[in-house]
Amino acid sequence: MSAARGTMTIPGRPDVTPARPADASMDLLNQIIREPLDPDYALVAARGEPRPTNRGALVLVAVLIGVMFAVATLQTTRSAPALESERAELIDRVQAGEQAQDQLRVRSAELSTEIDRLRTSALGDDDQAVALRAQIERLSPVVGTVAVTGPGMVIEVDDAPAASTDARDRVLDVDLQILANGLWQAGAEAVAINGHRLSSLTAIRSAGDAITVDFRSLTRPYRVEAIGDSRTLPARFAGTAAGAWWHELAANRQMGYETSTARALVLAADPGLVLRHARRTEP
Amino acid sequence: MIPLIGLLAGIALGLILEPTVPQALQPYLPIAIVAAMDALFGALRAYLEGTFSDRVFVVSFVSNVLIAAAIVYVGDQIGVGSQLSTAVVVVLGIRIFTNVAAIRRALIRA
Repeated sequence: MSAARGTMTIPGRPDVTPARPADASMDLLNQIIREPLDPDYALVAARGEPRPTNRGALVLVAVLIGVMFAVATLQTTRSAPALESERAELIDRVQAGEQAQDQLRVRSAELSTEIDRLRTSALGDDDQAVALRAQIERLSPVVGTVAVTGPGMVIEVDDAPAASTDARDRVLDVDLQILANGLWQAGAEAVAINGHRLSSLTAIRSAGDAITVDFRSLTRPYRVEAIGDSRTLPARFAGTAAGAWWHELAANRQMGYETSTARALVLAADPGLVLRHARRTEP
Repeated sequence: MIPLIGLLAGIALGLILEPTVPQALQPYLPIAIVAAMDALFGALRAYLEGTFSDRVFVVSFVSNVLIAAAIVYVGDQIGVGSQLSTAVVVVLGIRIFTNVAAIRRALIRA
């Protein structure tokens, strides 16, 4: 209304209420900071009461606080080594399991060698044995009981970059099954996924989030190696249904799909192939 | 002086006897301790300001601990236990900070 307050008045509304404090929304925190002390202390002091004689309760509360501190500290420090030892024990068990697995694998290889040796000695030297041995030598690379080397092609497949949002952007067990079948169809003689040799008894399955080959889980990316004629294999694979399937996955779902040829691939034998049945032939 | 001796005696007692806290009460122990610290520093500040009253201290300690534990308990029942205990720790933490700052000013006038 007066000239001095002219800056604060709005035309037509001379009576402006004082502005809301800028920190009104922080009132709760302000109140906590402004009043950190129990107001009762001031109240009792203002009343000017004589010092109460309630020493017992005071000591009790002090002792109680002390006990609480001690117990909480003890519990925290005591439970830390317990957690640590639990973890260490789990690691020990995993390592022991891995060691046992390695030993069993070595034992399995030893037994396979022994089976080979026994078979050779049982076959003898006659014409029939020579023919049988030739057949064994011809079939075992294809079946997967021996390690093989040779030229071939390598296909590396991987989940799409945005796989975390959509499960369909991930490589599934069925994709790898189709891929492996396509390679057989294209004339591959031996196939391995991430170093696990495939045979007619190999299962490619998913277990939880991982794909397993012969019940050993794989980690992405998946490297599929196939031994065969490196000149014709890529083209023949591209012509199969599996080639079309993967071409579409790569084009529509941005999954990783890279093919290349290799001069020399080494594929280990499938340790899962064992002698399951033996029969003594009539002499 | 007496509360300080009581506090030290309590710590010694806890370390020697090693009482085990019932499993059901264990989640509330840390919160109860923060509430106890709040009461403790509030009492120290009141003492330095000459307004200390042991009855107020005992009552504020007991009610602080019970309310803090009750808030966390209710939070646990309705599924926001950890958030509510964070809230309790934040509020009591601010109070402890402010009180300790006042104690520092009262003690060394800085």
